[in-house]
Amino acid sequence: MDMDYALLISVESLKKLVLLTKFRSLPPLFEETPNAIHELTLARDIYEHAVVLSVKIEDQDAFERDFFQLKPYYTDARGRLPQSPQEYPILGLNLLRLLVQNRIAEFHTELELLSPKALENPCIKHAVELEQSFMEGAYNRVLSARQTVPHETYVYFMDLLAKTVRDEIAGCSEKAYDSLSLKDARQILLFPSDKELFDYIKEDHPEWEIKNGFVFFQRAKDSTPCKEIPSLQLINQTLSYARELERIV
Amino acid sequence: MTQDVEMKEEQSVPSDSISSTSPTTLQTLKDIAALIETAAYSREVRRIVRAIRLTIQLRKKLKASVLSAFLNFALLPGSEVHSRLSAYVPKEDGHDMDVDTATSVTQATAKHSLPELEIYCYLLVLIFLIDQKRYNEAKACSSASIARLKNLNRRTVDVLASRLHYYYSLSYELTGDLAEIRGNLLALHRTATLRHDELGQSRGLIVLTLAYCPLQFCRYLFYLGKIRTIQLEYTDAKESLLQAARKAPASALGFRVQCNKWAVIVRLLLGEIPERTVFMQKGMEKALRPYFELTNAVRIGDLELFKKVAEKFASTFSSDGTNNLIVRLRHNVIRTGLRNISISYSKISLTDVAKKLRLDSPNPVADAESIVSKAIRDGAIDATLDHANGWMLSKETGDIYSTNEPQIAFNSRIAFCLNMHNEAVRALRFPPNSDKEKESAEKRRERQQQEQELAKHIAEEDDDEF
Repeated sequence: MDMDYALLISVESLKKLVLLTKFRSLPPLFEETPNAIHELTLARDIYEHAVVLSVKIEDQDAFERDFFQLKPYYTDARGRLPQSPQEYPILGLNLLRLLVQNRIAEFHTELELLSPKALENPCIKHAVELEQSFMEGAYNRVLSARQTVPHETYVYFMDLLAKTVRDEIAGCSEKAYDSLSLKDARQILLFPSDKELFDYIKEDHPEWEIKNGFVFFQRAKDSTPCKEIPSLQLINQTLSYARELERIV
Repeated sequence: MTQDVEMKEEQSVPSDSISSTSPTTLQTLKDIAALIETAAYSREVRRIVRAIRLTIQLRKKLKASVLSAFLNFALLPGSEVHSRLSAYVPKEDGHDMDVDTATSVTQATAKHSLPELEIYCYLLVLIFLIDQKRYNEAKACSSASIARLKNLNRRTVDVLASRLHYYYSLSYELTGDLAEIRGNLLALHRTATLRHDELGQSRGLIVLTLAYCPLQFCRYLFYLGKIRTIQLEYTDAKESLLQAARKAPASALGFRVQCNKWAVIVRLLLGEIPERTVFMQKGMEKALRPYFELTNAVRIGDLELFKKVAEKFASTFSSDGTNNLIVRLRHNVIRTGLRNISISYSKISLTDVAKKLRLDSPNPVADAESIVSKAIRDGAIDATLDHANGWMLSKETGDIYSTNEPQIAFNSRIAFCLNMHNEAVRALRFPPNSDKEKESAEKRRERQQQEQELAKHIAEEDDDEF
């Protein structure tokens, strides 16, 4: 039922999008037609709905596409239109998406383009603080942030983020601990029951060993002292030094 | 002849720039005009670059009176360009300059306006307008100049044109209308590419990335470094920024300070601690002071001190545009603090770790545990965690000389030096046909002289027609 509804909306919006191509006041032309402001507002509304819709039907690719369609209305058309009340929630949503997809470089690029005023907005701030906690490794702060989402549409990405965080925690734990009791492991990895923990281990980390109520991590014993000299590499390097020196002298 | 002129230039210019009265500024401008003329005839782009450099030195001394006098000198009075450009220059104290203009008109025989000279006048007026903060007029003036440029296709103009493009975008940026001309800039970049105009190309590219910067390669490097920093490519960013700081001319103090600020932050983000000498460079101590204190906080790994410094200099950091980066540094401060703890204690409870790091969160112990475990995974510290007892066990630090580390470090340093040498060789500029063709040089000189005379004749005829 829900999906049919979504489909209906998307077909409807598709029709509108086709119509939009006839407006010459829209980007990239930005022609000064008599109805320019009206048309721009209409187009912006449609794209905003499209972005929210893509979150509702949980389609990240569609989100990205729609967001990039929408962005010129926030940047290039800023001087012509009154600010949309949806602007900050949607920008924050996009930041969250980049975080979930682990596209940190793009996350920071987007951040750099925001004004100081935008950075004060709770929707943007939420995403920024999440990134910080995530980088620091304060994972429980990331997870508790789900309770304080500034906008209902954020829940979808927060759930995705929780999964990313779990994978991170698992990766860190296997390096940091020798072993953990099942209870602790369940708590740290945020599983409600042992069964889910077992399923997760079986699926994602088959190399972990469960014995006597403990999970043993097979930590790779790294940083072994170098026993043999990497002769081939050394020869290559020395030869290249000689060649370069010859060029200088 | 070309050589003679150049020698004269080099002697006369410094003496002019020492005395700061306006007639000598005018004289320097005239010299520059002569330089541009020779450049136009001999098709030597390098001279135009030099002319621009001299102009920038004059920038502070540029006054309305001098400017209008120069316009009278360089352009045909009554011509379209002349009237258009003079309209931008206020006619204050024009009285005492009249004498000078009159003499210059009689003096100057070359009254034909070369396209190079015309464009140069545009440039000069534009710089003047921007310095006077008359941005709307600057916008109009730059648009007119760009329109004029579209009809010109001369290699010697390219250098001037790329400068004009810069001020064109700058004047729009200063009024916040950069979006308006984006389409135009794209078109300019396209044209520049078609004409194999390298300077214009890089200019256009940089302007398009919304960073304004003139043609110099080192500015390009600076912005490249900035972009890379924002995108977390710290190693590459450091290289570009340091190179930019090194290549910048000694007189460009402000630019070098900016480079250093960014370089310091990037190095901190990389986990390096910049040496004290970086902050003690001549003329930079004061500007780099906030960054020095910041470095100190990161070096000690004291979160409290770091916060204090960040708050104290918040306005400096936000005007430098480094605020977002400093937020990122918090993570490094924690790392450093953690490293210090793991070196000093072989076993320490997580409660104490949280206390020492001064984590201010509702659940410091749980935070400390996950922070430590992440640091272990990232290889920042060598330790294990014991969850049941709630403590952190540091491992014995192994002998680094039993690994390949030193060899790798050695190799990367040698590679750096060799690379630097190669780049230096590549950057050397050799004089055009050095001593092997003395005679042909003579011949060329003669030919140029003839050409020049011919041009003068034509111009004079043109004048008569008017």
